[in-house]
Amino acid sequence: MSALLVAAAFSAVPTLVGKQAPDFALHSMDGKNRRLSEFRGQVVLVNFWARWAGDSRQEMPALDRINTTYNRAGLVVLGVSVDEDWRRAREFADAMKVGYPILFDTTADIGRNYLLRKMPMTILVDRSGVVRYSSAGFKSGDELAYLDEIRELLRE
Amino acid sequence: MNSKARVISDVMRSTILALAWTMGWCTLAAAAPPPPAAAPVPAAAAPKADAAPAAAEEPSAPGTPAAGATTDSPPSDFKTLDQEVQGMKKEVIDLNKDLFVLQEELLFPANTQVAVYVSMDVGAFFALDSVTLKIDNKEVKNYLYTAREAEALLKGGVQEIYLGNLKVGKHELVAFFAGKGPVERAYKRGATIIFDKGVGAKYLELKITDRVSKHQPEFKIKDWD
Repeated sequence: MSALLVAAAFSAVPTLVGKQAPDFALHSMDGKNRRLSEFRGQVVLVNFWARWAGDSRQEMPALDRINTTYNRAGLVVLGVSVDEDWRRAREFADAMKVGYPILFDTTADIGRNYLLRKMPMTILVDRSGVVRYSSAGFKSGDELAYLDEIRELLRE
Repeated sequence: MNSKARVISDVMRSTILALAWTMGWCTLAAAAPPPPAAAPVPAAAAPKADAAPAAAEEPSAPGTPAAGATTDSPPSDFKTLDQEVQGMKKEVIDLNKDLFVLQEELLFPANTQVAVYVSMDVGAFFALDSVTLKIDNKEVKNYLYTAREAEALLKGGVQEIYLGNLKVGKHELVAFFAGKGPVERAYKRGATIIFDKGVGAKYLELKITDRVSKHQPEFKIKDWD
């Protein structure tokens, strides 16, 4: 009975899967502004992270490896910091030395649109701009699930 | 007469299925009344006893005359069907247009409508990064430009940055432009206009130009009366 209640509670969590990904434009660490809708036609992995979320430290290197491998196949990885202090977020990102663009959402507006409930959070957007996969939190091995989804989306 | 009607209906059905398949209307194909070809895999595979008679029944009911009938009639059938499909497409487009107009009229009635546009000329002294709009001291828009969008403006594009409603009377619009000015310096400037909102729609244009004599960008707001 309790298992059913837990399952019901999880299934009631609002998700964007199957819906159009809310568009956003943000400043990035390299000085360029980036808008999600400009990547239409490519598979986009959006990773919301925060300095204070310990799992981000594990997830970012894994995403960097995915980006290096699948970038040429049409995958775009965007890291979105939800830290209010973008300077400290920048220091953190510098230390992580990832090769994909890091964007800063200091107003938390985009986080609200994406129904963030646990950090880090990873979203996969297909070539037509629809959210196809969403994962909250990160534990070692989750990147394999991302890879399965990415390969599937890249084949479409 | 009856068999002829059945033949025609079969031809129509198969043509619709073929069209649906080619146009990627999988939902239409799935919803079509008895689609033996488009039936889901499990249904076709599960009860073989049912599937076999059904498959056998289909061709036997119209019988061999069907083959003869299809060779005679396809051109006209295809033509009428194609016309119908084209007609339906046109109706959908018209309906979409009507809905758009209705939405515009309901959400932004012409009497209260205020539209703000952004245009950029030359841009040698200013690289646009963002525009923030305040109407009557309330922020109504904050727009961040990507390199592609800024380039589109430089090529002569005009962007509708804001569309809203305001009541008749005097209003103040303040626009803040942020970007990089001469010698790659961070540059932020504002422009203000107090405009009179009449009964009709109001159009305002934020113009970014270069003032060559001062080697500086210039920001103006034009009221299109």
